[in-house]
Amino acid sequence: MTTPMTTASAVSLSLLPEFPRYSLRIDPADVSAASEVLGLELPTRPGQRAATGSRLALCLGPDEWVLYTDEADAQAVEAAFAALYPVTPHSLIAISDRERTITLSGPQAAELLSTSCPRDLTAIAPGTGTRTVFDTVQIVLLRDSESDFRIEVGRSFLPHVWALLERANRELAAGL
Amino acid sequence: MLLIHCPYCEATLPELEFTYAGEAHIARPADPSTMSDEQWRDFLFIRTNARGPHFERWRHAHGCGRFFNAVRDTVSDKFLLTYKAGEPKPESLPE
Amino acid sequence: MSAFRIPGKGRVCHDKPVRFTFDGKQYQGLEADTLASALLANGVHLVGRSFKYHRPRGIVSAGSEEPNALVGVSRGGGREEPNTRATLQEVYEGLTAISQNRWPCLHFDAGATADVLHRFLPAGFYYKTFMWPKRFWDRLYEPLIRRAAGLGVPPSEPDADHYASRYAHCDVLVVGAGPAGTAAALTAGRSGAQVILADEQAEIGGALLADDKVQIEDQTAADWLSAAQAELAALPNVRLLARTTAIGYYHQNMVGLAQRITDHLASPPADAPRERMWRVRAAQVVLAQGAIERPLVFHGNDRPGVMLAGAAQIYLNRYGVKPGKTVVVVTSHDSAWHTAFDLADAGTPIAAIIDTRPAIDPALTEAAAPRGIEALLSHTVTATSGRLRLRSIHVNAVTDGKVGGARLILCDTLLMSGGWTPSLHLFSHTQGKLAWDEASQSFLPDLKTEACHIAGGGRGLWGIENALQDGAKVGAEAAMAAGFNATAPALTTQNDRSGAGIIIAELPTDRGPQSTRSFVDLQNDVTSKDIRLAVHEGMHSIEHVKRYTTSGMATDQGKLANMNGLAIAAAAIGKPPPQVGLTTFRPPYTPTTFGTFAGYHQDDTFDITRKTPIDPWAADNGAVFEPVSLWRRAWYFPKPGEDMHAAVARECRATRNAVGIFDASTLGKIEVVGPDAVEFLNRLYTNPWTKLAPGRCRYGLLLGEDGYILDDGVIGRLSEDRFHVTTTTGGAARVLNMMEDYLQTEWPDLRVWLTSVTEQWATIALNGPNARKLLEPLVEGQDLSDEAFPHMSLADCTVAGFPARLFRVSFTGEMGFEVNVPARHGLALWQRLLGEGEAHDICPYGTETMHVLRAEKGFIVVGQDTDGTVTPGDANLGWAIGKRKPDFVGKRSLARPDLVDPNRKQLVGLLTDDPKVVLEEGAQLVDDPNRPIPMQMIGHVTSSYWSEALGRSIALALVEGGRMRMGETLYLPMASITHTAKVSRTVFYDPDGQRLSM
Repeated sequence: MTTPMTTASAVSLSLLPEFPRYSLRIDPADVSAASEVLGLELPTRPGQRAATGSRLALCLGPDEWVLYTDEADAQAVEAAFAALYPVTPHSLIAISDRERTITLSGPQAAELLSTSCPRDLTAIAPGTGTRTVFDTVQIVLLRDSESDFRIEVGRSFLPHVWALLERANRELAAGL
Repeated sequence: MLLIHCPYCEATLPELEFTYAGEAHIARPADPSTMSDEQWRDFLFIRTNARGPHFERWRHAHGCGRFFNAVRDTVSDKFLLTYKAGEPKPESLPE
Repeated sequence: MSAFRIPGKGRVCHDKPVRFTFDGKQYQGLEADTLASALLANGVHLVGRSFKYHRPRGIVSAGSEEPNALVGVSRGGGREEPNTRATLQEVYEGLTAISQNRWPCLHFDAGATADVLHRFLPAGFYYKTFMWPKRFWDRLYEPLIRRAAGLGVPPSEPDADHYASRYAHCDVLVVGAGPAGTAAALTAGRSGAQVILADEQAEIGGALLADDKVQIEDQTAADWLSAAQAELAALPNVRLLARTTAIGYYHQNMVGLAQRITDHLASPPADAPRERMWRVRAAQVVLAQGAIERPLVFHGNDRPGVMLAGAAQIYLNRYGVKPGKTVVVVTSHDSAWHTAFDLADAGTPIAAIIDTRPAIDPALTEAAAPRGIEALLSHTVTATSGRLRLRSIHVNAVTDGKVGGARLILCDTLLMSGGWTPSLHLFSHTQGKLAWDEASQSFLPDLKTEACHIAGGGRGLWGIENALQDGAKVGAEAAMAAGFNATAPALTTQNDRSGAGIIIAELPTDRGPQSTRSFVDLQNDVTSKDIRLAVHEGMHSIEHVKRYTTSGMATDQGKLANMNGLAIAAAAIGKPPPQVGLTTFRPPYTPTTFGTFAGYHQDDTFDITRKTPIDPWAADNGAVFEPVSLWRRAWYFPKPGEDMHAAVARECRATRNAVGIFDASTLGKIEVVGPDAVEFLNRLYTNPWTKLAPGRCRYGLLLGEDGYILDDGVIGRLSEDRFHVTTTTGGAARVLNMMEDYLQTEWPDLRVWLTSVTEQWATIALNGPNARKLLEPLVEGQDLSDEAFPHMSLADCTVAGFPARLFRVSFTGEMGFEVNVPARHGLALWQRLLGEGEAHDICPYGTETMHVLRAEKGFIVVGQDTDGTVTPGDANLGWAIGKRKPDFVGKRSLARPDLVDPNRKQLVGLLTDDPKVVLEEGAQLVDDPNRPIPMQMIGHVTSSYWSEALGRSIALALVEGGRMRMGETLYLPMASITHTAKVSRTVFYDPDGQRLSM
């Protein structure tokens, strides 16, 4: 179930329900082992992502990735990494509840983000993502297409970020 | 607001993503118990306070999370160079 | 239609009349008028009273440099703004404006007595006059001065508007949309570069909006401008921002733009912000801000009706407004001649053009003659008359430096021009260097510190053609520097106007220096005499002259005054202007509302407020919240009729006697994983971790390398390689940062990884003798008996069906559990526990009760009982140090001589002699209240509460050599009473810890 936004909005916003999300930290030298377990090649440059089936991996830093999948696949991911640990130590932590995901959709989505995100959004290509800030709140920003973004925000910051987005969205709708 | 080049992300990004982390190239002594009180004081508290190029640490805290080194001119507030943690102190600086 | 409006002329909408009021009187203006142009069209010049002398003042300029025409604008309901420039405020139907700094009214102002007394109010008089008697300052002088001086009155109601902000990135930012800026933006825009063009006026065009003679590329200026506006608007890579002032130029080409969005609208849309701050990062910046016309300095130059010539040209050609019935022009620059010609051609009689120069371009005098204008070269103006509006002026010939006899000329308008000052404020923000240009007698841009380009008037060029061509060239350069292929169009003009002049510090006069009142800074009422007096009294630096006279320190920052002030000061000092130098320009370029800076940070988004999963329940159940770092936490839960004391006492009783439930979700949580996790914790925390068995937990203490307590928390071992570390609420981010720092830079060889899980888990603490009884039936997968799950245990299990990480820990001294469940289940678990807990007399408690209960047990709160100078020994935590560990962060410092001093401040308990007295936290302690003042203080109270369990007050304090003072009486001198208290141990309640397993 998604939570719809208010009516007077330029950009369609929604809050996604929780879904399986993991923080993976592993020595860069061991990335191939993790890639093998996941069945996708983990990108090694911050910002890049890779996907297979329901699995999506985004490289956040040289030794840090965030993994997304669906409920049906969660146990398989956890079991695979648990099996990997004795051979190749790493850290896989479930953070499904740590963040909430807001989707932004529409031609003005980037403009809406620019109300509080200092990044040059044209430098974030579709199919990439990054950690950055939104009004000084740390977020993970994924760009799925020219006009589709996801904000992953720490759960306790959600009310603040959501209120800012709503306010700015009404502002965009007002057109001035 | 400055722009800072993260040597790990290989991108020049807004200062808001970064945090300052003190002077660079001050390694924690391998065995502090062998240090005299004066040596330990110097490690803890004595810093260069440069006027001009200053070697300092930053963290791309709201990005890749990495600590790295930078040379910043404290007069102009311009970054001359950034490089990865663990890399040697550069011998020459760009103009 | 008023006598001063020329039908059909200008860019105002003659078919769209707009009604507005000024000082309660209704007037009619036209759409696209500014308040200033609309008032002038109604013959109104008198718009305010001056700051210090309350002299009548009129509209001087047509832009943001306006010093006089500051008005209050009100929409009602908190939508009020003082000191609005009438020259920028556009009229709209129903606009309400008032004049300022006058009483009882603009035409008769009692404060004008200050003008009569001006001889007694010289420069620096504040510093000289009100020195004695000293006590008069607070009660008499300052209130009087504050009432007498000043501009607008701040609104009394909260601002009902909202404000916005925007980050933008572009290749080329062009500041100023006159001919140079427009040409630059066109050229850069055509190259494909991302361009932002910002201008503070309502319409882009600058000088082109007010010149109906010049032809550009064989079109009228208006037609060329229309085409340019249309082309810029059509280019998808160009963003046009009108009503937008570049207020500051910061590092690496970041420019702040303040955009006014709704102030010109009669009925702004509800969701539209009033103003928006743009933070623009540009690869290249083009500064095309043009030049600002200088007033001339002469006796009586501040009378209403005296106006800048360039402003009159704008009012005439852009707004179709004649400035008066009979006009005289006084100038040292060619440009004012053209204004006179435009006015004459529009039917306004020009009584004379007075030029201070003995010789000028003959084309000007030749153009004056057929228009019947008397041209007086080598003349000066020595006086003006007229109380609320100019009536006449004195004009004198100047021969060989001697001022001849005065001739009276009747006129209601005097247009002046002292030449033009390149507008380099933003360039100066970058600490770019200025160089004195002898030819133009002005400062021009020199060494640059940023990727910026200056075009047109800003670098001393004159004329529309020069500006257009320079703008195009600079626009192309900027685009190319940003990586685009650009070519500058030729852009030729006809009928462009000549423009040359001389700088003249002050017009020659036949008056004595004491009786001359020639205003340099109109807004701060500084005269040339004041500046000379300042120099005479020893102020030889321009920065001192500025501060002593306040010249240039008003809200216009001396846009009109600075160059004249500098010339006069330089002459008085006897040095050329470049050696005297300029004062520093600082952002913002024009006064900017706090709202613009605040942006979205008002009301519910004023600041980040972190909320826990249980926050909605707390809000629904009457919690009083307190801020803890960025979080808001439930402080206490008052029942109807309860004050804080009663609520906290009840919560304390319930927790000690039955079971309390507490939202501990804000605690920092870090999962530490890897083969070297235990080694990592051994090196970082003071405690030994090697022997901690999986399933057990331990109090952990974290120091800085300086040996002082940084943080603490319970650390549980989940498995051989996996720890669940908790931190203080405020320390969570700091501790994780510190851990990463050591891992990345000091011990990169350790195979251990960190993940913040603070927000992954909702944490609910149950404390009290009934805690286990409540929890036991809900737990699956873990036996909660003392044997299977003793104090300081942890286990993964399920609680009420939710997957849980369960700790048995206590921060209250009662039997305690902390249930961590995935955050999405936090609220449901809380409600379930509350429901099941009814049978066990459950009571929710807040942070205040938590604080009381822990203080009764002598548990410290880092940051409250410690302040960054407290060692483990000071805080009685020596037991938490792994003495056999060779090293840990801070260990070496604990052996420093000053950290082993037995007389250090140590944490002790305090019991007041009067058990009902609850001491003030922060109160200072002395050992003898009869010592002479200042008494030596030996410590202070860090925590102090009413203890419901003990029926008396308790306190913790840091006291010098405290542990050696057990039983000693100490004193707390307060404002009206001195309390006495005895030093005690820090554990006030259940010292043997028997209740942990009750």
